[in-house]
Amino acid sequence: MGHFLETEGIATTQISLIREHTEAINPPRALWVPFDLGRPLGVPSDKGLQRQVLVAALDLLQAAEGPVLADFEHRETEAETTGDSEPAAWACPVSFEGPADDITDNETLINGFRQEVSELRNWYDTGLGKTGRTSVVHFDPDSAAKLLSAYVLKGAKNSGDTDLSFGVALRLAAQDLKAFYFEAVTARPGVAPPDSNSFNRWFWADTAAGRVLLAARNRCSSETDKLLRMTGKMLLVPMDQGNQS
Amino acid sequence: MARLDRFPEPMRSHLADLPCPSFQTHPWITGPELSKRRVSLISTAGLHLRGDRPFQSMDGDYRVIPETAQANDLVMTHISTNFDRTGFQQDWNVVFPLDRLHELAQEGVIGSIGAYHYSFMGAADPASMATSAKKLADLLQGDRVDAALLVPV
Repeated sequence: MGHFLETEGIATTQISLIREHTEAINPPRALWVPFDLGRPLGVPSDKGLQRQVLVAALDLLQAAEGPVLADFEHRETEAETTGDSEPAAWACPVSFEGPADDITDNETLINGFRQEVSELRNWYDTGLGKTGRTSVVHFDPDSAAKLLSAYVLKGAKNSGDTDLSFGVALRLAAQDLKAFYFEAVTARPGVAPPDSNSFNRWFWADTAAGRVLLAARNRCSSETDKLLRMTGKMLLVPMDQGNQS
Repeated sequence: MARLDRFPEPMRSHLADLPCPSFQTHPWITGPELSKRRVSLISTAGLHLRGDRPFQSMDGDYRVIPETAQANDLVMTHISTNFDRTGFQQDWNVVFPLDRLHELAQEGVIGSIGAYHYSFMGAADPASMATSAKKLADLLQGDRVDAALLVPV
């Protein structure tokens, strides 16, 4: 995009998250930052760091010649340096009775899932009332749970009140469900927001919701609809949880 | 952490194998000093206003985000499951630093910010982005924007 815009007469500067990709593309101006994918400005609510990144990227517009690829000077934490992905101090205070690992039938799984959603809903509503902001987009928690439960249990392809294809609705419901879980669990008193690794570990290993998404993915794999098969294969479950993309 | 050698498999191989376009030319546009620049953000995080259409295809389409947008106006429907979204959930500036950009304009570090900002979904084919970039350049020039900050996710 930087190359194309510059060709059209717009000066560009950009943040780079994967240095090797930026080296290959060689755009006009880029600032490589050592942050996780999904966090190009660094750390949530750290205004000072975000400002430093922003100013460093914009300063490249003053470079005399290019292409230029600069590194953002950032003192990494020990975890960043070692790539340590083991749990930090965060431990989710929400512990559900189910699902246990030996749950094999979908009906029991869905019952546990519904209990989770019901239990978390209070804290989601509380958090939303407090901040006025939610990342849930199309499917409120009950609607997302209903869509996913019906698909996992019966293969029902109901996109709810939307005019979206079921494949798109399934993906968006899964995204909204994860957003709901994160916002609900971090709205509880005394709970510091987890890093993404800790949250993902909890969501995929300890919640029925994670298992419901895995079950939805498995059901997608036997669908005849190509979009739905692709949704299941690539768009419901991340690679580190067994996504095959 | 976003160095290829620090990603666990299979993510490392997936990222390493992604095709990256290369170019024979190196366009280079200059302009006024930073304090006189008008800047717009261009994100590839699949962001859009809450009432706008979700990203569904990888054909290089974009969404318009006005400078007056607030945190709760903006949502993310990028198709990928392989990047962190919890940072955006906590603070939109970690992905789309519009508040920080407003502050820099108020302090005179930059001249002003564009009336409109834009978001794509980064998984799109680079060839389709070329067509979109031409349209985008017209829009930016119409808004007197002379610097674009591209923010990945």
